[in-house]
Amino acid sequence: MDEASDMGEELQKYFDNLIARIDRLKAITMTDRDGVVLIQASTSGTPPKVLEPMLSTTFAAVSDQASRLGLKRNKSLVSFFELYQVVQFNHSPLITTLVADADSNTGILLSLGDELKEIAQLVATVTHER
Amino acid sequence: MLKPKAIQQVLKQATSGGVRATLLLNSEGSPISFVAETDREARIYAAIASNVWTTFEKGTKSMTQDDGVRFLVVECEEGTLALTTVSKMMLCLVAKPEVGIAILKAKSDALVRHLEEPLTNVMTNVS
Repeated sequence: MDEASDMGEELQKYFDNLIARIDRLKAITMTDRDGVVLIQASTSGTPPKVLEPMLSTTFAAVSDQASRLGLKRNKSLVSFFELYQVVQFNHSPLITTLVADADSNTGILLSLGDELKEIAQLVATVTHER
Repeated sequence: MLKPKAIQQVLKQATSGGVRATLLLNSEGSPISFVAETDREARIYAAIASNVWTTFEKGTKSMTQDDGVRFLVVECEEGTLALTTVSKMMLCLVAKPEVGIAILKAKSDALVRHLEEPLTNVMTNVS
């Protein structure tokens, strides 16, 4: 087994642990700007609809628009629905998406941003090399 | 009849404590009333906020079974944009980066509570 697949397993384990550790976090995905999933973890009850790549591609479009506000680069987007809240990070060139219950703690989800940014950079470097 | 100046008085109350601009936009994204440092700034915020909301709403329509996105917070390096709907219009708050999401949510909820009924009445009479 090569180094990259070892790292893949480690990252999958880390994402699974994150789901178990953060209360009411349903799913976490790391994708590129076209919505191609690189790593994903979710609880068993997560509706497949919220894991669709459309969420990442929509964020990519919104993030580009928001970067024209005159407030410099877009960092994140938080959206609230009736049942869910979605926190998305612009970890360029990747996008990290967290889907949680509507009443879960948004601050905790946002505080994961820096931790996940380092992982996104690592994944981006490895996928670029391959 | 809508009185933009009366609405502006309400929006002004939310434009404090790090909130730089507050705008009420119609469904096409044109500002009905706003409080901002300059008209140019308000026009930029209005155009982009409306685009952001429409893009996100369209993109997530198939994702949820409920009636779609309710509140949107766009965090940038030098500021935060908060968006929601009131009646058939859009409410937009632009704040400095140090303003927390919870404050923006509380302010926009308060504005929605205050404006929902009168705006709905006006919209019903117009249509």
